[in-house]
Amino acid sequence: MKIAGYYTLPVARERAYDALQDPVLLAQCMPGCESLEPLGEDTYRMRMKMILASMNGLFEGKVKIAEPSKPEEFRLVVEGNGKIGFMKGDGLLRLSETDGGTDVHFEGDVTIGGTIAAVGNRLVDTTAKMMIRKFFERMTEKVRSEAATA
Amino acid sequence: MISQPFEYSRPGTLAEALELLSGGSTKPLAGGMSLIPMMKLRLAAPEHLIDLSRIPGLDAISEGGGSIRIGALATHYGIESSALIRAKCPLLAETAGRIGDVQVRNSGTIGGSVAHADPSSDYAAALLALDATVHIAGRRGNRSLPYAEFLVDTFTTLLEPGELVEAIEIPAENPSTGSSYQKMVQPASGFAIVGVAARVARIAGKITFARIGITGLGSKAFRAVNVEALLLAGNAAAAAAAAGDGIEANSDLHASSHYRSQMVKVYCARAISTALSRAA
Amino acid sequence: MGTTLTETKTLVGQSVRRKEDPRLITGTATYVDDIQQPGMNYAAVVRSPHAAARIKGVDTKAARELPGVVAVFTGSDVAELGPVPCGASLPGLRVPYHHLLAQDRVYFVGHPVAVVVAHDRYIARDAAERVEVDYETVAAVTDSEKALAPGAPAVHPQWPDNLAFTFEQNGGDFAQAARDADVVVRQRITSQRLIPMALEPRGVVAEWRSGDKALTIYSSSQIPHLMRTLVAQILGIAENRLRVVAPEVGGGFGSKLNVYAEEALMGFVAMKTGKPVKWIESRRENFLATTHGRGHVDYLEIAAKKDGTILGLSLKLIQDLGAYHQLLTPAVPTLSVLMMPGLYRFRNIHATILGVFTNCVPTDAYRGAGRPEATHAIERIVDCLAAELKMDPAEIRFKNFVHNDEFPYLTATGLSYDSGNYAAPLEKALDLVSYSELRNQQAEARAAGRLMGIGIATYGEICAIGPSPATPAGGWESATVKIEPSGKVTVMSGVKVHGQGEETTFSQIVADELGVDMDDIVVLHGDTTLVQYGIGTFGSRATAIGGTALYFAVQDLKAKIKKFGAMMLNSDDVSFVGGRCVCNRSGKSVSLAEVAGASHRALALPPGTDPGLVATKFWEPPNFTFPFGAHIVVTEVDRETGGIKINRYVAVDDCGRIINPMIVAGQIHGGVAQGLGQALFEQAVYDESGQLVTGELTDYAVPKATMMPWIETGHTVTPSPVNPLGVKGVGEAGTIGCSPAVVNSVVDALSPLGVRHIDMPLTPEKIWTLIQGGAA
Repeated sequence: MKIAGYYTLPVARERAYDALQDPVLLAQCMPGCESLEPLGEDTYRMRMKMILASMNGLFEGKVKIAEPSKPEEFRLVVEGNGKIGFMKGDGLLRLSETDGGTDVHFEGDVTIGGTIAAVGNRLVDTTAKMMIRKFFERMTEKVRSEAATA
Repeated sequence: MISQPFEYSRPGTLAEALELLSGGSTKPLAGGMSLIPMMKLRLAAPEHLIDLSRIPGLDAISEGGGSIRIGALATHYGIESSALIRAKCPLLAETAGRIGDVQVRNSGTIGGSVAHADPSSDYAAALLALDATVHIAGRRGNRSLPYAEFLVDTFTTLLEPGELVEAIEIPAENPSTGSSYQKMVQPASGFAIVGVAARVARIAGKITFARIGITGLGSKAFRAVNVEALLLAGNAAAAAAAAGDGIEANSDLHASSHYRSQMVKVYCARAISTALSRAA
Repeated sequence: MGTTLTETKTLVGQSVRRKEDPRLITGTATYVDDIQQPGMNYAAVVRSPHAAARIKGVDTKAARELPGVVAVFTGSDVAELGPVPCGASLPGLRVPYHHLLAQDRVYFVGHPVAVVVAHDRYIARDAAERVEVDYETVAAVTDSEKALAPGAPAVHPQWPDNLAFTFEQNGGDFAQAARDADVVVRQRITSQRLIPMALEPRGVVAEWRSGDKALTIYSSSQIPHLMRTLVAQILGIAENRLRVVAPEVGGGFGSKLNVYAEEALMGFVAMKTGKPVKWIESRRENFLATTHGRGHVDYLEIAAKKDGTILGLSLKLIQDLGAYHQLLTPAVPTLSVLMMPGLYRFRNIHATILGVFTNCVPTDAYRGAGRPEATHAIERIVDCLAAELKMDPAEIRFKNFVHNDEFPYLTATGLSYDSGNYAAPLEKALDLVSYSELRNQQAEARAAGRLMGIGIATYGEICAIGPSPATPAGGWESATVKIEPSGKVTVMSGVKVHGQGEETTFSQIVADELGVDMDDIVVLHGDTTLVQYGIGTFGSRATAIGGTALYFAVQDLKAKIKKFGAMMLNSDDVSFVGGRCVCNRSGKSVSLAEVAGASHRALALPPGTDPGLVATKFWEPPNFTFPFGAHIVVTEVDRETGGIKINRYVAVDDCGRIINPMIVAGQIHGGVAQGLGQALFEQAVYDESGQLVTGELTDYAVPKATMMPWIETGHTVTPSPVNPLGVKGVGEAGTIGCSPAVVNSVVDALSPLGVRHIDMPLTPEKIWTLIQGGAA
């Protein structure tokens, strides 16, 4: 499934770029993420608990930051495996300066398999968008409050 | 199609149920039409199911003070066939009769549906159009919220852990108001690809009241205030055509985002037209 | 003295209520999941979640440690056993070795990787989750045309072109026909992958008695005897020590015309554990791992004169085979080629089949098995031709039908059509719909801006499969008829009834022939120890071949009955009528029960006659049979939504002699329901990475009663000369006639907008997009 869109972060591009690669911030902003432990070389082991409706799935996997081209773009790969299935998101994030902040354009692929693929077809789109939305909402909060306290 | 193991309790009173629900990984069970399939597919694995079906009075449908009060455990079929609801809240009866299929309607409940907050829920469109109120019971007391506020996002409501939807309250319909629920049905699941609930009233040919609830289009059901405004302004042609504007439409195997965003306009026009034909 | 003539009405030809139904409706039938054995364990199959991957390791420790788990088996445990068999052979066919469990690679989502055995099904399910398989995913390909493109991922590494076979068949000279033609119309036409969706998923119970070295396998199967022969080979046990029982089977539609890994696996598990074991498929497993149907991309060219005479047809058929061959996988598309000419006289054909591997579950027979695809394609392109020539679609068909005086008709593909009157069903159908008035209504509707369509399809089909040289395992059928000492009748048929009603229709035949009550006849089937070898039920063959074997067995019995009757009546001039042997001179008679008793008591025997009353017949059909018919569908398309409403569905079918009109109507209704499913609602969708996204019934839209139009059925009767019953077969005909009639109707509705073809399923969005002027 292809996904694309953009969100605006209320900070300068350099800061936005660093924030989006900061494992501490990523762990706080990725919905359900319980931990991101560095495995080395821009790769982190991820534990994520996805809660949606009554669905409850623990995913273990990896987050990888690749092809960095500071401050313009980088690739973010998230993969997780759990009992309810597996998922992989592979996206290119492009940052451009805008009035009052940075536009973060993302474009990529989401693949799911296992039970969630068989049953959740109508929800994949909605869920992926919701999780991305939540991610950026939290990231916005974090960078804003950080800028405020600076 | 076998769930994880779980404990099962069947409390006899609401207080007992709330007590049990304050414990760890618990989940209330009403009709089970959404929960049981997810448990069988192992997408959901509550450790303790609290079956509400034996709590007396939780399914009661009554009238008082100008509104209809529907107990959370009222089934879709119970609502569809209730003489009181058909008379005093026909939009809800019509919507209930379009949910899923016969088997789902015999078991599924309005409380379960409202708490579950599926983005394609048929009731959601109707309850928004009906200015419904949600009555919530909790160990620490009861509270009530407008449904529009209660519904937050995909599968997300303001229900706190341990709380239960106790009843839905809807103002009794003015007999001169016409209503209709029109739905594009996904043929495999029976879910709404889009669903539009419309209530309209007019005086001397001019629309004086309009409420449009739309489900299935985006991340949650919403009230199409832009459509309502155009109807009140006397611009019926533009009204339905504006349905869904500004909402990012869902996309799935059965309807692309583009098609869905066009169909919501078609079904909105049909809902308005039928509602008008039923209005005085 | 007056003679009273009592007219005995035969049961054959009447809508006798089915004997099967009371037990089916009251839930007292025995399906595989109803079978309980003392000490029985339960198995769960661990399946690959990936479409293509290397297996780096399988760790079963956590699963084995769960209390209640008896054993866990993986690929290495079954590596030495035989493969899941492919019964079809084609020149140059590449056959990947199909192990019972994946060895070092998985090839489709759902590919079995391990079997967990536990004390109950709940523990088995929990334990299955604990088996850890380390997969290294590789690229997958799920679209047949993409698999053929250069650079596509190789499904099987040893065959990077993903081609399992090519097949070519020529008749006459198509190239010349194309040169002689005034017009050549080309069209790409698909028949999409479908899920057969039998209501009862697959299930197996296996029991091993080590003292006797005897294995019993209960399986929801259409072919118990064939399965027994093949599973014995896989497991390396003696065929006569394997008993296969197919109890009540809740639908098959071709998906149970097969030998599956799980059938042999459960036998293996029973032998290894020494305890009976049961495995029942979930609906998800049924979707993932039971064979799918169809899977065609067809490129057609039809050459014709401008007066509508068809000169020839060319077909390039790209068949999506899936990752492996199941029993008949590569053979199914060859049936499409055989039926390319349909009901038409043209003699020039050119066909090529490309059998393509994909990372999907294998395709195999599904109601019609190759013939719905062929008929859909021919009937669609004939309509395209009619549109091109501005000819009425009924007129062009009448013009090209095989003539009544040309039967038996040798087709360009080498078939001999047995009998036919192809114009008759079409005439009757046109009459039923009042065709010219309907076209007037359509003109009025069009003037008012409404999209009304009238679709016609005339089909011919090949069934009663078939003469043994033309089949992979033999095409004859068997029947044994026994009359017990009390006069009750037992029939043992080699067919495997699974919804078609032969317990009733066979009883009707026997009741008429022997003059016994329907209730005094028991029809047994499905147990290889009880019933002599039989081929099974598929290809609309059970009555045409199995019923004929039964008929001949009964004739042998009647001859013996008359011998006994003659002896008992001391007469040399006896008739057997109304269940009694009558001396034509004296009028004295003896009942069948008396004859049966005497034949067993054997106080005296007629000369050269053995005691008892049993007859067995194995009957080899000299030819296939060829039913035909015409379906007409009236539709209206909702301009705003693309939704399709069927306002009228008329089916006139000719299945030869009709034994039970109610059962025949039921077969047409069921066939039409599945045809509608293909035309309007169903598609097995694999995404690019090989996930089956239509993985549950919430996304795979099987027609439900509320979605069905009223089906008006009519018949013409052109008996088949192939068998004495005159019966052709009707199980698949409804499906074959339906989808082209529906699509022709909707294309007709949209033709004012310039639409000439739409691929199935005709979803509202697809239609709506066409109406907006876009490509679907």
